Amino acid sequence: MDIEDDEILQGFIEESLEHLADIENDLLAIEEGGANTDEDLVNKVFRAAHSIKGGAGFMGLTTIQELSHAAENVLGMIRSKKLIPTPEIINVLLIASDQLQSMIEDVHNSNEVDISSHLLPLNAIADGSFSQPPPQEAPAEEVKAKVKHTENKSEPPPAGTVEKTKPVAAKPKPKPKPEPEAEPEPEPEPIALPEEDEDDEQSVDSEIHSTTTQSGRSEPAGDKNKTAGPPAKAETTLRVHVSLLDSLMNLAGELVLSRNQLLQTIGSDDLRNAEAVGQRIDLITSELQEAIMLTRMQPIGNVFSKFPRVVRDLSKKLNKTIDLNIVGKDVELDKTIIEAINDPLTHLVRNSVDHGIEKPADRKKLGKSEIGLVVLKAYHEAGQVVIEISDDGKGLDGEALAASAISKGLLTPEQAQAMSDKEKINLIFLPGFSTAKEVTDVSGRGVGMDVVKTNLDQLGGHVDIISEKGAGTTISIKLPLTLAIIPCQIIETGGERYAIPQVNLEELLRIPANQVKNRVERVGDAEVVRLRGTLLPLIRLADVIGIERTYFDHTEEEIKPDRRESNADRRGKESPLFRNPNEPDKKSQQKDEMYNRSVLDRRYSASSALNIVVVSTGAIKYGLIVDRLQDSEEIVIKPLGRHLQQCKGYAGATIMGDGRIALILDVSNLARMARLNSIDGSDRAAEVAKAAEDALRAQKDRQSLLIFKSSKTEYFAVPLNQVERIEKIKRSDIEELGGKRVMKYRGGSLSLICVDDLATVLPLADHEDLLVIVFNIAKRAIGLLAIGPIDAIEISADIDDTTISQPGIMGSIIIEQHTTMLVNVFEMAQTLFPQWFVEREKAVVETADESEPPTILIAEDSKFFRNQVKGYMTEVGYKVIEAEDGVEAWNKLHEYGDLIAMLVTDIEMPNMNGFDLTHKIRQDDKYSKLPIIALTTLASAEDMARGQAVGVNEYHIKLDKERLMVSVHDYMKRRY
Amino acid sequence: MADDKTTATSKRIVELATFYVGDALCGMDILKVQEINKLMQMTKVPQAPDYVVGILNLRGQIVTIIDLGLKLGLGATDLTQDPRNIIVNSAGAHVGLLVKKISDVVSADMERRELAPANMRGIQGEFFTGVYKTDTSLIGILNVDKVLSLED
Repeated sequence: MDIEDDEILQGFIEESLEHLADIENDLLAIEEGGANTDEDLVNKVFRAAHSIKGGAGFMGLTTIQELSHAAENVLGMIRSKKLIPTPEIINVLLIASDQLQSMIEDVHNSNEVDISSHLLPLNAIADGSFSQPPPQEAPAEEVKAKVKHTENKSEPPPAGTVEKTKPVAAKPKPKPKPEPEAEPEPEPEPIALPEEDEDDEQSVDSEIHSTTTQSGRSEPAGDKNKTAGPPAKAETTLRVHVSLLDSLMNLAGELVLSRNQLLQTIGSDDLRNAEAVGQRIDLITSELQEAIMLTRMQPIGNVFSKFPRVVRDLSKKLNKTIDLNIVGKDVELDKTIIEAINDPLTHLVRNSVDHGIEKPADRKKLGKSEIGLVVLKAYHEAGQVVIEISDDGKGLDGEALAASAISKGLLTPEQAQAMSDKEKINLIFLPGFSTAKEVTDVSGRGVGMDVVKTNLDQLGGHVDIISEKGAGTTISIKLPLTLAIIPCQIIETGGERYAIPQVNLEELLRIPANQVKNRVERVGDAEVVRLRGTLLPLIRLADVIGIERTYFDHTEEEIKPDRRESNADRRGKESPLFRNPNEPDKKSQQKDEMYNRSVLDRRYSASSALNIVVVSTGAIKYGLIVDRLQDSEEIVIKPLGRHLQQCKGYAGATIMGDGRIALILDVSNLARMARLNSIDGSDRAAEVAKAAEDALRAQKDRQSLLIFKSSKTEYFAVPLNQVERIEKIKRSDIEELGGKRVMKYRGGSLSLICVDDLATVLPLADHEDLLVIVFNIAKRAIGLLAIGPIDAIEISADIDDTTISQPGIMGSIIIEQHTTMLVNVFEMAQTLFPQWFVEREKAVVETADESEPPTILIAEDSKFFRNQVKGYMTEVGYKVIEAEDGVEAWNKLHEYGDLIAMLVTDIEMPNMNGFDLTHKIRQDDKYSKLPIIALTTLASAEDMARGQAVGVNEYHIKLDKERLMVSVHDYMKRRY
Repeated sequence: MADDKTTATSKRIVELATFYVGDALCGMDILKVQEINKLMQMTKVPQAPDYVVGILNLRGQIVTIIDLGLKLGLGATDLTQDPRNIIVNSAGAHVGLLVKKISDVVSADMERRELAPANMRGIQGEFFTGVYKTDTSLIGILNVDKVLSLED
């Protein structure tokens, strides 16, 4: 064949391929339109076919010309409405356009291609013998046979034309798909009746599979162009807008000018000017970088555009009806990324079509529309591109996934139990995991999602699955815009700088020296830090990469070795208590010296603060302890030499501004090196959290408190369970009568008190809006005046009953950094309104008169509460014996025997809790009648039931003196 | 004829860049050498094999520096004694070889090359393709690609 001029030919090829790329989607649109075809669209396709024909004729590419002519004929008939575009006809046209594309990509051999298999049906359609409406078997069979024929033919090719024919065989339709052989498949099928193509399909399909899984690019036969469809084509040439080129040219010119200026300035030693030139170069370089980056940007539509066809062919084969919605075709991504996401995306889309969307019948049963919907969406978010593939299919079943993982031995049942739904769904990414119950040929044979994830990980991407069973699945992929230059956080450890990619960065955390002890905890061998309520595992960078621990001394500006065992460790490693007596003393002396000089000082100096980089790698989030945090910089990734490939902790290296090198950390591999893999990580964190919580709970009782203010600066609290209600009032509502403050309240008058009536605290703030906290004491309501803000919290902090103890205040407690005074409302009422209590005191005195005052045993571990309760009792004349826990109480009970008239016990106590104590007492006949009152901070129904079961007579809430004492009196009276 | 002769000669005569690794005089084909420079500021790579001294920035390229002494089992090269880096091109990437001292370039007639004695001062014989005798010294000819291969 005569090929006139390479340049003209190249132009023709490029133009034709562009036409073909459009043709495909246009044909699909025409198919959808059916009889009401959009004329413009048909015209467009017609013109495209026509110009290919014209060009091919000019270039002497007869085969291409012939085929495009045949296609043009059919299109012409559609245009003139002589023919209604049925799916069968469109199919033939599509196949023909695939063939055209493959021939054009390999023009030099195009004339040798046998296109009779395409011409036949096309011509049949054109002359009406294709038997329009119901596609006959005859032509179909024929086509099929012919297709096979071509394929076979290619196998034993005539000697001289080996290379020429081979690509042809592979080509029948590799149009936009990455897998050339995949295509021949669907073609016979739609024409032929569905039943008969079974086995044929099967075989080709398995081929598809092998190729897809092996990466779709396994075809080395020189058909690079073909394999990856449109994006791959871009490998050799790239279309760049002229205006962009112009601006590049301009910038390059600017850069040259600036260089000249710089050289001049350096020569003349003019510092001020140098600065200006430096700035200029800085500016130009950034602009240049951006502009060059732009040339590499391509619309993601290049990849997306092939999916309509993929979905169409697949859904046909699977007998499903599926709509594909594409949003955000114009979103641009770096060329390399576009190319690399092709395979993973294809896999995901196939998955959605095959496994996600149910069969129409099933959908109908579920009340869904029979037509499934797959949405492909791309958009920008926070400097990254997000691609979402969502379907409205059956969704992922976390339980089923977990069960399957267990049966495959990838997971233990215990692990599965500890996993959240999200973690279970993420199991799909485990290597060796296949979702489909039966392997179908369309998507995957158990190789799949893990490969997808690995591919995306390599791109610095991040995959996330959101799935609701029955409602559908959304897979969202976050990708960086470009791979070449990435923003990184620079950190320093052991005197070397390291870079952490910003994508992995969650936040930077600095724990000041004086908080390290409180916030960093050590559970087992794991160090964790409390971060907004969750426990974050900590890894020391120095330990993971095996260098000496160091810290950066800010005052001396130098790096010093760090010898602390753990972060919470505030002493020298060798405390005299633990010193091995056999060890030579010299060493410890030496060390002591060192501590005196640096470590001791460090406790108070800024240098002992912890710098933590919180990083996340999908499932795992952890804190990396580093010596020093530096700036965030944009860096260029450079690969490490092959001798360093074994160092898994690094993703590469970069050159810093001063010419030195910084290693780029691979945070997911660091986590692996520190043995923090995702399941273990979450397990461990959960365990640690639980252990820490249990420890806390065992130590202290939890207490619900209402926090309020009286003056502007002092914080007060009362036990929440004593509060009846809270009223908002105006200052003008208060009436002063007979030296007492009262207000109208529910048809009566309510006595009002202030904290400062009894306690020496600042007076009530002069606010117009006031709050009245209403209590019920001695069967009367009493109101405590307060100002907001008020808040109810549940805490388990230590109550200090000595520091601020005074009349009306029972102690203090630290709540959110504020010292808060615990108001003793009972005591206040008693002091301010003694007459309310006269009656009852009489009753007590009466009983006391008869004989010795009764003795009450109090079992309570908290000194504060023990003293409070003891106070209530002794105040009215009872004798009290104290016990610190259940065991002691039991012993005291034996010791004093009958003397003890009643037991008041706490529930949460070390050694023996209140339930066990009660149980034990009730087992003993001697004490079976002993009244037992249980005190608790939070009376849950569950606890009460349990208490009753073991024999507790009554339940009371701690600090509710009123009720407790009434009940105590009752029992005492009964006794006598 | 003349042409033939030149090719033959060029095959036979190889220019050897020679250098000291520890006390041993070694040589390699000078065409393998891209450049020789003084030790620059290197960045240590924790977790790297012990024979990797670090990496450095060679005009925008990251080059791994290998202590030839350690690699050949001749003891670490003393960094304070002004050692040199021989940057070689191996398997498509640049690698720096840290040596104690650079010596002359020697034209060696490969036909006069002798097999390395098996007991060559503890050096792993596999890294040497042979020894070459000059009037004054004995040069061990290094197989650079072998030294830099990752098989071990």
